[in-house]
Amino acid sequence: NAPEIRTGQWEDALSFVAVHQDKAAYSELFSYFAPRLKAFGMKMFGNEQQALEMVQDTMLNVWRKARLFDPSRGCASTWIFTIARNVRFDMLRKKQSRKDDISADDLWYDGNYPEQEDSGSHQWDTVLMTEKLAPHFDRLPEAQRLVMVKVYLEEKSHQEVSDELAIPLGTVKSRIRLALDRLREALDDTRS
Amino acid sequence: MTHAVKYHPGIPLLEQYVEGTLEADVALAVSAHIDLCPHCQQLCLDLSAEQGLMLEKSAPAAELDATDLDQMLADIMAQPQWNGRELNTQPQGPVQVQLKDKTFTVPRALARLVEQQTKWTQLGSIANAKLPAGDKRHVSLLYIDKDTAIPQHTHKGLEITLVLSGRIVDEKGSYGVGDILINTPDDTHTPRTLPDEDCLCLSVLSAPLQFNKGITRLLNPLQHLFY
Ligand SMILES: [Zn+2]
Ligand SMILES: [Zn+2]
Repeated sequence: NAPEIRTGQWEDALSFVAVHQDKAAYSELFSYFAPRLKAFGMKMFGNEQQALEMVQDTMLNVWRKARLFDPSRGCASTWIFTIARNVRFDMLRKKQSRKDDISADDLWYDGNYPEQEDSGSHQWDTVLMTEKLAPHFDRLPEAQRLVMVKVYLEEKSHQEVSDELAIPLGTVKSRIRLALDRLREALDDTRS
Repeated sequence: MTHAVKYHPGIPLLEQYVEGTLEADVALAVSAHIDLCPHCQQLCLDLSAEQGLMLEKSAPAAELDATDLDQMLADIMAQPQWNGRELNTQPQGPVQVQLKDKTFTVPRALARLVEQQTKWTQLGSIANAKLPAGDKRHVSLLYIDKDTAIPQHTHKGLEITLVLSGRIVDEKGSYGVGDILINTPDDTHTPRTLPDEDCLCLSVLSAPLQFNKGITRLLNPLQHLFY
């Protein structure tokens, strides 16, 4: 059950930055992600100056810490998102002038937890069809519902769904896990 | 420590935690739970991947000053990349905390705060150490010796309890290491330890507890123990 190693344009670019301090690869990453991070920052701060500060700090971290990116743990976009989230969190804390207290480094661990067995989902096949689950199924986030319909109702393989929706295999699997957990939670609520 | 965690924060809370929109002290309890819970570790990886994908597929900002960005890019690439030592700034693993002759292990998320300060206040079989989380809520380690009941109380605000060692039970369930209990205002319960097992928890409280019965109401002024 080896972890999937992500490969793609941004994952490759990050490894060039990490290994060769490759400026061309970094410039590509920058010109794609900086404008998107700015939009994200505008949404979060509602203020251009702070949004730009967040972009600058985030992209500086991407440059400085590229060696920490591990393609077996996730996509480049996931890694960049987590950096932006942490930068934003610490910026907000600093603005509220809180000292010695909770920081992004405490809250979000950027390391490997020990490997876990992939919990099987086969026991859900029949349960899924029951009337009890149907309303919850409809309330799943659209992206997850779509993957669930293809896997459980149209009985397609994870690989087929990945090809059909043009999303990575890992995303298909993670959407199934998220959806199953939501359904499990919904069932627990109806039971108690 | 291979027993399964039974009580989780729930997906909406995990989502806010991953987005970074959850309040810091609540996020701290969620983070410590995740350190102890492989199930939620996986869910958080999945939720982060969804957030990353949203960022990748999102539209770029409408208003962009190209010279600003070019300048930013040049400034960044003029900086050196970090060496191995600078890269490791995070608390890496669990730490030990000492209470009299007992030693407990607390998760990574609490490591830095616990190392800054653990000053215990003790009353009978209960001890409390406030952590310097410095937020609206009170964050503390709460130790309850074996065979002890916390008198019945009602919550005036949110109460989050994460079991770090041992076990605690109340009217609604039995909670072991990693289990998280979330009590909302007006929930009433009487948590207690088992006859042969003490308990260390992380407690996050947004308002003092209100003790309900007879003489225990005298505890209400002694809030510093629980708050
Ligand atoms: Zn959990
Ligand atoms: Zn309580």
